Amino acid sequence: MSIFAVKKRSLKAMFLPILCLVSACNVDKDQSLSDHSIVYCSEGSPESFNPQTVTSGTTIDATSNQLYNRLISFRGEDNTIAPSLAKSWHVTRDGKMITFYLRKDVAFHQTDYFTPTRFFNADDVLFSFNRILLPKHPFHQVSGGKYPFFQSVSFSTVVESIEKINDHTIRFKFKYADSSILANIASDFAVILSKEYADTLVLKNIKREIDTLPIGTGPFKLKEYRPGAYIRYATHKKYWDTPSTLEQLVFDITPSNTSRLTKLLAGECDVIAFPIAHKKIKSKPKLQLEAVTSFNVGYLGFNTLKPPFNDVKVRQAVALAVNKQAIIDTVYRSKADIANSLLPKTSWAYDKNTRSQTYDLSQAKKLITEAGFPDGFTMSLWALPVQRAYNPDAVTMAKLIQADLKKIGIKVVIENSLDMGSFLEQLSKGEHQSVLLGWSADHPDPDNFFTPLLSCSSAESGNNRTFWCNEDFDNLIQQALETTNVAQRKQLYSQALAIISTEVPLIPIAHSKRFQARKNIVKGQLLSPFGGIDFSKVSKN
Amino acid sequence: MLIFTLRRLNLFIFTIFLLTLLSFSLSFLFPGDQLINISGQVNATPKQLIVLAEQYQTNNNIFQQYFAYISHLFHGDLGISMASQLSISTEIMSFLPATIELTLVALFIAMLFGIPIGFIAAINHRKATDNIILSISMIGYSIPVFWLGLLAILIFSIQLGWLPSAGQLSLLFEIEHVTGIQFIDILLSDSPYKWQAFQDASAHIFLPACVIALAPATIFVRLARTAMMDVLDSQYIRAAKAKGLSFKQIIYHHAIRNAMVHVIRDVGLQFANLVTIAMVTEVIFSWPGIGRWLIESIFQRDHTSIQGGLLVLSSFIFIVHIVIDFIYAALNPLARESRHGT
Amino acid sequence: MARDKIYLEEEFPSPLLQLWHNFKETPVVMIGFSCFIFLTILALFSPLLTPYTSVENHLDFLLLPPAWNDDGNVSFLLGTDNLGRDMLSRLMHGTSLTFGLSFVVVLISLGIGLVIGSLSALTSGIKSSFLNHFLDVILSIPSLLLAIVIVAILGPGLSNTLWAIIIVLIPQFVHITRNAVTQEFRKDYVLASRLDGASSFRILYHSVFPNILEKLISQATLAQSAAILDIAALGFLGLGAQIPMAEWGAMLKNGIDLFYIAPWTVYLPGLAILFAVVATNLVGEGMRHALKVSKEA
Repeated sequence: MSIFAVKKRSLKAMFLPILCLVSACNVDKDQSLSDHSIVYCSEGSPESFNPQTVTSGTTIDATSNQLYNRLISFRGEDNTIAPSLAKSWHVTRDGKMITFYLRKDVAFHQTDYFTPTRFFNADDVLFSFNRILLPKHPFHQVSGGKYPFFQSVSFSTVVESIEKINDHTIRFKFKYADSSILANIASDFAVILSKEYADTLVLKNIKREIDTLPIGTGPFKLKEYRPGAYIRYATHKKYWDTPSTLEQLVFDITPSNTSRLTKLLAGECDVIAFPIAHKKIKSKPKLQLEAVTSFNVGYLGFNTLKPPFNDVKVRQAVALAVNKQAIIDTVYRSKADIANSLLPKTSWAYDKNTRSQTYDLSQAKKLITEAGFPDGFTMSLWALPVQRAYNPDAVTMAKLIQADLKKIGIKVVIENSLDMGSFLEQLSKGEHQSVLLGWSADHPDPDNFFTPLLSCSSAESGNNRTFWCNEDFDNLIQQALETTNVAQRKQLYSQALAIISTEVPLIPIAHSKRFQARKNIVKGQLLSPFGGIDFSKVSKN
Repeated sequence: MLIFTLRRLNLFIFTIFLLTLLSFSLSFLFPGDQLINISGQVNATPKQLIVLAEQYQTNNNIFQQYFAYISHLFHGDLGISMASQLSISTEIMSFLPATIELTLVALFIAMLFGIPIGFIAAINHRKATDNIILSISMIGYSIPVFWLGLLAILIFSIQLGWLPSAGQLSLLFEIEHVTGIQFIDILLSDSPYKWQAFQDASAHIFLPACVIALAPATIFVRLARTAMMDVLDSQYIRAAKAKGLSFKQIIYHHAIRNAMVHVIRDVGLQFANLVTIAMVTEVIFSWPGIGRWLIESIFQRDHTSIQGGLLVLSSFIFIVHIVIDFIYAALNPLARESRHGT
Repeated sequence: MARDKIYLEEEFPSPLLQLWHNFKETPVVMIGFSCFIFLTILALFSPLLTPYTSVENHLDFLLLPPAWNDDGNVSFLLGTDNLGRDMLSRLMHGTSLTFGLSFVVVLISLGIGLVIGSLSALTSGIKSSFLNHFLDVILSIPSLLLAIVIVAILGPGLSNTLWAIIIVLIPQFVHITRNAVTQEFRKDYVLASRLDGASSFRILYHSVFPNILEKLISQATLAQSAAILDIAALGFLGLGAQIPMAEWGAMLKNGIDLFYIAPWTVYLPGLAILFAVVATNLVGEGMRHALKVSKEA
């Protein structure tokens, strides 16, 4: 018997069980470990594990609702503000003071790197907000000292001070009334960190770990993170609200759209972010596709300081000539609602009576002639160089608009050679004539669409890309902030929307939807119209 | 055998010398500052740069620079990654084992199927079986591997749902990284789900390994076919026939063994080809191996990583090459006497 | 054809012609050869033959399936991609990029390899031994890996990819030329001309080259199928041809994002690569077979 015959036989003997293993695999696995785990295929790595310091949706998804809680949170269909770490609160009549009464039995995460010795109390709240507010705070400069969300809502100018009344009562004092303040405190960014953990980090002189090895009160705690590969969370068993029925939650970081869908179809992911090919998902009975209309808007903005768009008639003419429906069909593949106003339908301040320009070429032609351009003109249109939920493909959108405007004699030159950094920088300097851009709201308060996008103050800072500054409009949105009466605010916002419709500093095009696909066996709500994904109520059966 | 070993050792040293030379010269060829390319210290302060220049002797002549580089290599210091600022040797240590695992399994599959099929073709020379095998093998090595990988995922992961499409192991399992070779790590771990994890790892490696194995397998088919035909043509087989041995006996007792020896000789050369295919396949199957890491490094223009990764990967290929040479020599005493190296 | 000659004259066709006679015997090989010719014509004349340019956007016809599908449109025979570009036109343009350029690449490296190989065959001693070892080392590094490294030095892009592949292919031509020339030089007819006083270069040019040409061509076909696969692989990895070039590998990469919406954007470029490689390999296979037959004859 030759050596090879023996070898070959033993090789075969080795190989056979492997073949059996492979075929038996799926059956066994489903019975146990995966029953108590969820694998979520996310679209990217988080920049940090502290949502206070970021604005990116990817980071919010990986942190806010999983690792942390806020004092208050949004609940239900209508996004009312509900208790979270604060079991109740009281707003003074002038709106200049809010007192929060905190829960007593809230435990922080216990992990390999930190063991809490006390429950959550007012010190933690004080620490979390003072880190943002006080430039001298020992943790303010950790991770760069930038708190973009809080800066964008001028949090530090609104808040005068925060006082600890006793261990479970805390009071916010404001310089002036701001009716969006509760929404800001309930937003995904205003999470509560552990002061005790921060103190131990100071002792060990590793302060920066507060944002990389997070400790919070949320339903899950961080177990392991490999950048670009995965995030592994374990269930926080002592969670103050109902603890999750899962054992672990894994974020499988998969940037490629196709790979994410492949993993869902092959059963490697239970839930995936931003699925493509919706028809394919719908055709599979074991999968389901869900969508929420996000609080966002994709728009075409004019630089109202530059001719010819300093003329309102030209802006109106363009608004009449753009075929929004065609854009929704092609660019968004019908995964968006057509935008009649700046506000999406799901906002409480949405006014269905807001008049908007509908596609009307002859009227457009008439207006452009009145404005003194019977033969049209040449304009440049800047297209957003990256994909965003509110604008998945700005170049194609620009091409469609180019074709539309050609019909009224306007020649459009598309500018899309810039990278995102210089694109934003040159926009804020106002070097564009017109631009395709969008906005995703941070919280459901309608003000989040008005002040950052179109107010005079943000025109000065360059965040208002249209550089449009209208006193009446500014007064209206300012008044709306000063009152807490919802009916009154709604009426003020309706007037503001009407001004936008006639002045047309920008043309709202679409409110896109955020999609999510999951296996049918995954139960529970995952998405809300704004903010990140939430796994706390999810279970598997 | 001693002379053979010495000769191989000589070749090995020469090759490693050439590879280090190549890798050293890459630091000059890449755009940017040579010192930063070789060390990866992109954020170094001027003070640190002076220390680095001292370490790498950049102010001395080129030979001293080369020896400084070699001594860094001997200390296991390949610099740090320009992109992640992590030590390249630790990065490679965490990615290379996955590639070794994948390529060895693929090589095994390629030989397991390729060689017997080649023998069958040779035995049925100039018959329909032979022609069919040859045509299929021609298509086998003509298919672009990235396309094949996609088709395999589409068929086996999505349509049939038999095998997973990405990664080395389902993320549900927590297996500690000890050797980096997943199967060994699983056996070493104390996870309660050890057996499940083992099955899962087998399922994960199966598809990419088969995709990688296809092209080399077709080459083995051809090599084995030629080798077997040569053997069947030889005098001693005719003698055996004349002695009245049955065809089966001739094939099993005489031909296979001798033809195998010839095929083994070429396995080393095929291994280089196989690793190339593995690099592309790793990208498609998101396999956490060194090929994917190297390609990502190119996108990030991480010159230090490319340099280190290339050195380690080609040394690995060459070591396998030499090991196979030794196996060949052990099996075939004639090879030891040969006057020239391969 | 009527034979005018009364006496049977023995004909000695040139080696190449002899090769061709043996080559055309196998029908499968001839099919491969016709495909090869077809691809060559496409590569040369695609700009004149395509219905549209490779970058023309038809925004009204985005992601149109091929014409045989119910939703297809006859004016876009193979459908369109996500920017409404005609797949057929792009594939045809891709022929000159992937197939045509691979041909050029092989030709260049064949030329360079031939020169270095013959020179090294004429030298001996330490220099030759070093070169031999050096070539062995280079040949042991996978060609795609080497190409990737060269692209890493030069930066991504189609022209850099081509240079990389040229460099990668040279060693095998050096190797084969060197071996073939050395072998030929040992033969008697070379000795004969040497005795006649011919210089080494003269012998090389007049006597040796015509006799090793067939070997080189057969190696060249092997090299070309490798070159097609390498160009496509680099394009696929995003290191080669950049958007919006219609290189097949790059098209396939672009198609991956649309895999589930428009599978034809993945199938078609893959099939095109497969077709080109199979055609090239068939030609090579026929060539080697013919060589063997003429040697045996």
